[in-house]
Amino acid sequence: MRQPPKLARKFLRWFCREDCIEEIEGDLTEVFMKDSDGSPRLAKWKFVYRTLKYLRPEFLKSFAKYRPDSFGMIKSYFKIGWRNILRSKGYSFINVSGLAIGLTAAMLILLWVQNEMSYDRFHAHADRIYQVYSRDLNNGQIEVWGNTSALLAPELLQSYAEIENAVRHRNVFFLAKAGEHRFNEMGAFADPGFLNMFSFPLVKGTRNALADESGIVLTRSMAVKLFGTIDCLGRDVEVNDNDVFKVTAVMDDLPLNTNLEFSYLLPWNYMTRLGWDKNQTWAWTNAGTYVLLREGQDEASLESKVSNIVKRYIREGDGATREVFLHPLTKVHLYNKAENGNLTGGQIETVRMFTLIAGLVVLIACINFINLSTARSEKRAREVGVRKIMGAYNGSLIAQFLVESTLLVMLACSIALLLVGLSLPLFNQVMETSLHLELFQFQFWLYAVAIILLTGLLAGSYPAIILSSYQPAKALKGTFSRIKGAVDPRKLLVVVQFTAALTLSISAVVVQRQIKYAQDRKPGYDPEDIAYEFLQGKIPLHFEAIKNELIASGAVTSVTRTFSPIVRIWNNATGLTWQGSNDADKTTNFLLFGADADMSTTFATRILLGRDLDIYMHPSDTAAVLLNEAAVKAMRMDNPIGEMLRDSDGMNWQVVGVVQDFIMDSPYNKISPMIIQGWRDRYGVINYRFNKENSYADNVKKAEMVFKTNNPEYPFECISAQSNYLRKFRLEVQTGVLASWFAGLTILISCLGLFGLATYLAESRTKEVGVRKVLGATTFQITSMLALGFVKLVVISIVIGTPAAWYIADNWLQSYDYRTPLNLWIFLLMGLIAILIALITVSTQAIKAAMMNPVKSLRNE
Amino acid sequence: MSMTHHSLGEFEELVLLMVAALHDEAYGVAILEHLEEKLDKKLNISAVHVALKRMEDKGFVKSRFGGITEDRGGRRKKYYVVTALGKRMLDTQHEVRTSLYKQIPKISFG
Repeated sequence: MRQPPKLARKFLRWFCREDCIEEIEGDLTEVFMKDSDGSPRLAKWKFVYRTLKYLRPEFLKSFAKYRPDSFGMIKSYFKIGWRNILRSKGYSFINVSGLAIGLTAAMLILLWVQNEMSYDRFHAHADRIYQVYSRDLNNGQIEVWGNTSALLAPELLQSYAEIENAVRHRNVFFLAKAGEHRFNEMGAFADPGFLNMFSFPLVKGTRNALADESGIVLTRSMAVKLFGTIDCLGRDVEVNDNDVFKVTAVMDDLPLNTNLEFSYLLPWNYMTRLGWDKNQTWAWTNAGTYVLLREGQDEASLESKVSNIVKRYIREGDGATREVFLHPLTKVHLYNKAENGNLTGGQIETVRMFTLIAGLVVLIACINFINLSTARSEKRAREVGVRKIMGAYNGSLIAQFLVESTLLVMLACSIALLLVGLSLPLFNQVMETSLHLELFQFQFWLYAVAIILLTGLLAGSYPAIILSSYQPAKALKGTFSRIKGAVDPRKLLVVVQFTAALTLSISAVVVQRQIKYAQDRKPGYDPEDIAYEFLQGKIPLHFEAIKNELIASGAVTSVTRTFSPIVRIWNNATGLTWQGSNDADKTTNFLLFGADADMSTTFATRILLGRDLDIYMHPSDTAAVLLNEAAVKAMRMDNPIGEMLRDSDGMNWQVVGVVQDFIMDSPYNKISPMIIQGWRDRYGVINYRFNKENSYADNVKKAEMVFKTNNPEYPFECISAQSNYLRKFRLEVQTGVLASWFAGLTILISCLGLFGLATYLAESRTKEVGVRKVLGATTFQITSMLALGFVKLVVISIVIGTPAAWYIADNWLQSYDYRTPLNLWIFLLMGLIAILIALITVSTQAIKAAMMNPVKSLRNE
Repeated sequence: MSMTHHSLGEFEELVLLMVAALHDEAYGVAILEHLEEKLDKKLNISAVHVALKRMEDKGFVKSRFGGITEDRGGRRKKYYVVTALGKRMLDTQHEVRTSLYKQIPKISFG
């Protein structure tokens, strides 16, 4: 029998008034029948057209049918909702804990992200402050760094009206002494306007404190260390063994969320008085420069004016191609990696990634919530049926179920807050932050309530709609259809969860492998047992004595002086020329290191050709260099021994040896070419290797005595090269820990979801299982039949998740020169583990279902 | 003349006339088909229903439900009859029209 178009008919029934629908639909159908005797297709279109013509106010349903429930109704929703939660404790527990875990993770991440975004925003003029960066070509690559020439700031302040203030800042290590207290701390030279530009709060003194040439500004903890009190204005501090300064101000300790670091501030011209900038040129970048723009000034236009300042002063040589540009202070922490000469990435990418992960985790937890709620919903069908018969509007039912889900969300949120409070100390320790929950801020509670309502609404709306759509007749009879559609949305959600879990897990594994790969890389020397001191105080004077006494005591086997510690490079050199070099080679950047003697015995580096430096045995070594393998390659030398090279100051150096490449920089990067010079002095560090035969504690004690006798004024530092080397991996280790935790959490939540789904499906197939058992199926067969359905879902997750994970992992690894290979077996293994985990999760339910007594399951209740 | 000042549109008048003519057998489709035949033009069923509804609201027609027939997908027919008020309305209209017509002079037009 011909039927009028279903969709149009449905639409008609939807909008039309109940008291008119009977005749309208009847008449339309009758006309349609008569029309379709002629041309059926035309009849259909005519039907649709005619139906649409009924969209008139006279025939429209009044949609304002939902009447707000009285307060008593809502109270009853809470009561019944709470009772329902208590009635099915197991399910409620799973649901709430899944959501709570997800919310905890998200909250922690968001706290961290908020902290990262807050760097240096607390300054009053933060939006007008810029740090000046230098940009230049190096080895053909554009490089960007945060230092400029010390000549820049005064020039900017003088010549450009747009600039309200320009200050310089440079970190320095000095021994500060007051009475019996002495401390070797990092401080900074700063221009007088420094405290005006940055809004660090002062506890004592005024902001012009640095204008006093003999004044020193202390941080609170430094003041307490030196004087035991912050009331120390006017007191004397002896700096650098000779110079006395008066305390002119005391400031609060620096908060963690700022890029600057210092314990005290000294006037900039103290550095000039020390003669440290005697050879100051426009090319020598030795100062951090910060500018404050006047109100209303445009950064871009100023930048185009100043970018060529350096180039103007330097016609040729080092610095002739250098540009400067402005980087907003608030972006300095987040945008610290340069691409093509612009600071476009860096920490911000990590922040974005973690925000994404937070969103993902919340999404998965909500998906879980929805899944479990709908799975249980079919148990509520009878209740819904009765309520509808008693006259409940759809809207009321939806409201009731929304209240229930909001209750669950509130519960989950409270637990989440508790968990966050508990786990924050551990989190702070790993991430080296000091995050805390601002429980007493109104804003915090505002956000919390908003999130609860939003999540409750979001996660609860789908189950609520499903539940309120049950038809009473069918629901009471006990026969109602399962979710319609090509794809069971519940299964789809499980696939999404597992895909996310798999991707995170693979990422975590890749991060760990990368760390291990870099850690396994041979450093080219042996950092264990090496310690160093900075050449401060009397150490340079008594160097010979110290060296001899250290070795004589048996605690140390070898001593050497170097430019910088072996774990850090402080100097570099460009503009070198040698036999066969060309102009392009002048831009090649060589790492500059220096050693007096015994470098290889102290560090355990390997000399491949020639010999080690020794300015004592070979006095001519003060004009000699060692090259590392990378340098030999960069210089294209076939026989490096005996070759001469000339540096940018015109000095000649003879190559006496080639040393095996060793890592001084990042273990993730390729090794740069390096030259190691011999000098009479100009060293910054004394390194010594402890004798393995003795215990570490013994060695340290003996060394301490030697240093105490020879350099009594200064504390014994004994900085370990090993621990500093390991610190190079710090960032990746943090990322690895976080990734592992979040992967674990996601897996947990996904398993909870899977467990819930398995429970539901097992219950709904009890009759089927009963019949199969009666027909002779074994428990094993039934279990595998039930479980296989889930394995299919996991396989789909693997198929989707593996390429996604590969893409993410590959992208992350690209930022490292030295990276671990992405082997196929990682992905296969993780896939297998995923299947295994899924099997274990569902097997309990599957086995339980398979073992049920068929008599019980087949009996009609 | 005491008349509640409801008006009767042209189309409504036609529909009302047809309802009266069909006397107890008037329902949507029947009215439509007869009108189409009489006026010799195609009409839309929705126009008929709108007219019927308006007139029912004004009190010119009364309705009752009939039995279910196969042809209408299980929907019943709604039959309309003219009320006394409706008949009075028709009579008044007819009187006005007739009297106006009588006033036309007996000449030949074009």
